[in-house]
Amino acid sequence: MAQATYLEAIRQGLWEEMESDPSVFCIGEDIGIYGGAFKVTDGFVHHFGTQRVIDTPIAESAIVGAAFGAALTGLRPVAEFQFMDFIGCAFNQIVNMVAKSHYRWGAPAPLVLRGPCGGGVHGGPFHSQNPEMHFVHTPGMKVVAPATPSDAKGLIKSAIRDNNPVLFLEHKFLYRRIKEEVPDSDYAVPIGKARVHREGRDLSIITYAAMVHTAQEAADILAKEGIELEIIDLRTLCPLDREAITQTVKKTNKVILLHEDTKTGGLAGELAAIINEEAFDDLDGPIVRITALDTPVPFSPPLEHFFLPKVEDVVREARKLHKY
Amino acid sequence: MATKTKTQKNSRLKPTVKSASSNGRPGNGRPAGKAPAIRVNQYGIPDWRLEQPEFEVIEVTDGPEVHYEIKGELSTPVPPIRESKYLTKDQHLELYRWMVMNRRMEVALENLYKQSKVVGGVYFGLGQEACSCASAYALGPDDWFAPMIRNQGAQLVRGFHARDIMMQYMAKAGSPTHGKDGTSHYGDIEKRHMVSPISMLGDLLPVMAGVSLGARLQGKELACLTWIGDGGQSTGVSYEGINFAAVRKLGLVLIIESNLWAYSTPMEYQVNVKDLANRAIGYGMPGVIIDGTDACQVYDATYEAVERAHRGEGPTMIEAKLMRMKGHAIHDAAAYVPKEMHEFWRKRDCIDRFQKYLLEKKWLTPAQDKEMIAGIEKEIDAEREFAENSPMPEGHTAAEGVFCEDGCHTIKPKYGIPKKAKRSEGTLKETEAAIHFK
Ligand SMILES: Cc1ncc(C[n+]2csc(CCOP(=O)(O)OP(=O)(O)O)c2C)c(N)n1
Ligand SMILES: [Mg+2]
Repeated sequence: MAQATYLEAIRQGLWEEMESDPSVFCIGEDIGIYGGAFKVTDGFVHHFGTQRVIDTPIAESAIVGAAFGAALTGLRPVAEFQFMDFIGCAFNQIVNMVAKSHYRWGAPAPLVLRGPCGGGVHGGPFHSQNPEMHFVHTPGMKVVAPATPSDAKGLIKSAIRDNNPVLFLEHKFLYRRIKEEVPDSDYAVPIGKARVHREGRDLSIITYAAMVHTAQEAADILAKEGIELEIIDLRTLCPLDREAITQTVKKTNKVILLHEDTKTGGLAGELAAIINEEAFDDLDGPIVRITALDTPVPFSPPLEHFFLPKVEDVVREARKLHKY
Repeated sequence: MATKTKTQKNSRLKPTVKSASSNGRPGNGRPAGKAPAIRVNQYGIPDWRLEQPEFEVIEVTDGPEVHYEIKGELSTPVPPIRESKYLTKDQHLELYRWMVMNRRMEVALENLYKQSKVVGGVYFGLGQEACSCASAYALGPDDWFAPMIRNQGAQLVRGFHARDIMMQYMAKAGSPTHGKDGTSHYGDIEKRHMVSPISMLGDLLPVMAGVSLGARLQGKELACLTWIGDGGQSTGVSYEGINFAAVRKLGLVLIIESNLWAYSTPMEYQVNVKDLANRAIGYGMPGVIIDGTDACQVYDATYEAVERAHRGEGPTMIEAKLMRMKGHAIHDAAAYVPKEMHEFWRKRDCIDRFQKYLLEKKWLTPAQDKEMIAGIEKEIDAEREFAENSPMPEGHTAAEGVFCEDGCHTIKPKYGIPKKAKRSEGTLKETEAAIHFK
């Protein structure tokens, strides 16, 4: 066990999988000698060679298409988006070519699409987005969004080993901001299983990615007032861990749904529907949503600050719900 | 110290198969003979055709109506077939049989449609059978292909049966997709190495480049054949795929079927070039123009492109000039097509010309021809009967198969474990380099 940042943990997971399975290779823009815009593959090309760390033209559809083609020959490609915002350029390849292939014609597509998403770094409208819902809504895709270094390492491994296309969302705000003990031994975190990040009896917050840490900060404040938050880190957004969602609601009877993505059509709506289906009678208060605004991600720091869900939003809404 | 390797462009993904062997493919080794010279167009692109028809479709506003007219010379004589450099006599005959089979199967599909036995529409490759069959016929046994909607013949050549295609159209449980998809939207990565097309035009191009890339990582140089229309090549993903294949010298064999129409839009309103093969120059790859109604030209051009791919030398763009002889699909009577255009191309029918060629060479007698066609009819009849009698899928199976799970597939490199898995020892070192956003 050694300390690793969220970024290093992803690098380790990817490196270890490439070491142990020669059918894994990386493909993307500037990932070779430069090591990627965020240095996730720094040093990889020197170790694994140019055949397994492939720089491409700036062509996201070609990256996904080529990764899919290579997967058809039995390899496990890991394709990097320099920023997740550019995933829109490859939308058709992902949604129509890759995600449907097993259903339509029985061809598995064991590829990973990974890259940085999320705001809080003043990246503006094209370098801060959270594109998960386009793909949560795409049958055939799995979507993973880790919040901690250990989960990031364990989940990148599971994503690579999965026989299905997995969208692996790395929150760029967390890359070098969080650090923890990460197992160096071979371990994996299963896809489709949520995690109790913090136990609490009074109310539940269901969230994922960077917002887990926002929820944690709020929980620390609320604990001093005697309000104990339970934080559920979903980790996988598709398929959702319905059991974990239901369990926490049955335990605390009050729930806040929190995400950095925008509100309309965001995951919170789906979570609310699941709670309605599975635990309606257990609710002792309204389901509360805390999300970003329904706008593009603004650039200027005061604007972005206003746009993003904040600790104080969680504290305020939790107090209100607690009293309900 | 790490050893230095060449970092020259295009040597980064070094081809591992150097031999020019034809991988067990047809090839008669016959010297070229005294074939007519090959012309070169104004941009230096070789043009194998034995005629260069000069005409143009224009939009005409005539009173209250707008319609298309054709301007140009339409009375030129039908050119002969260009002698193949590679096909043996027996291969000519086998290829001819595939082309007839392609056409007769599509007639059967049309009949099934008229009897309301088909779900949805039917697509035809009428007039394009040479382009579909002769190209697929030029592949080696391990090579991959991905057909477009006009290339149903290629599916037959590569080992699918008429019943597979019929059952796809009839949405039967026994269809290759078990009713999950229709038309040519199916594939097989195990035996026949066919990648399923999707409706969106152009998206197969990077995928076929990727198949070649994946095989190369495993030490195998494949030819990956696909087709795209004069319309479909306009998509952005086509550019991305072709360019990627060119940059990495991947084994993409791309046939652009310039069949002069894209649904109802003539080629003149699709692109501002006469020869799409010119675009090969811009990608940095070889391009060639052929008569897509001449099976020998289609075979030879594809054969050479396949050889090039097997040698790891990169992609080839083949522009096949021909005509879509029916509407876009069965619902479309193609009333917008000037009728002189159909007449011009009907005289150039790929099957009639190939048949005449074989009869004149005395490689085929009229009696043998009749017998062969009767045999095909019988076979197709049996295929149709099988397809018709097979059941529809059970509704509940709609819920199955979204994910590959519970061991439904084992994933392993098809051509062996990648050999150059690693070039150094050592462990991962932490990176401290600056990153794009903090
Ligand atoms: C990206 C995309 N846009 C629109 C369509 C609808 N569409 C299907 S076939 C077709 C015409 C294709 O023409 P072409 O590529 O020349 O092929 P052809 O039918 O002539 O063989 C169109 C517009 C499509 N399939 N894909
Ligand atoms: Mg066309």
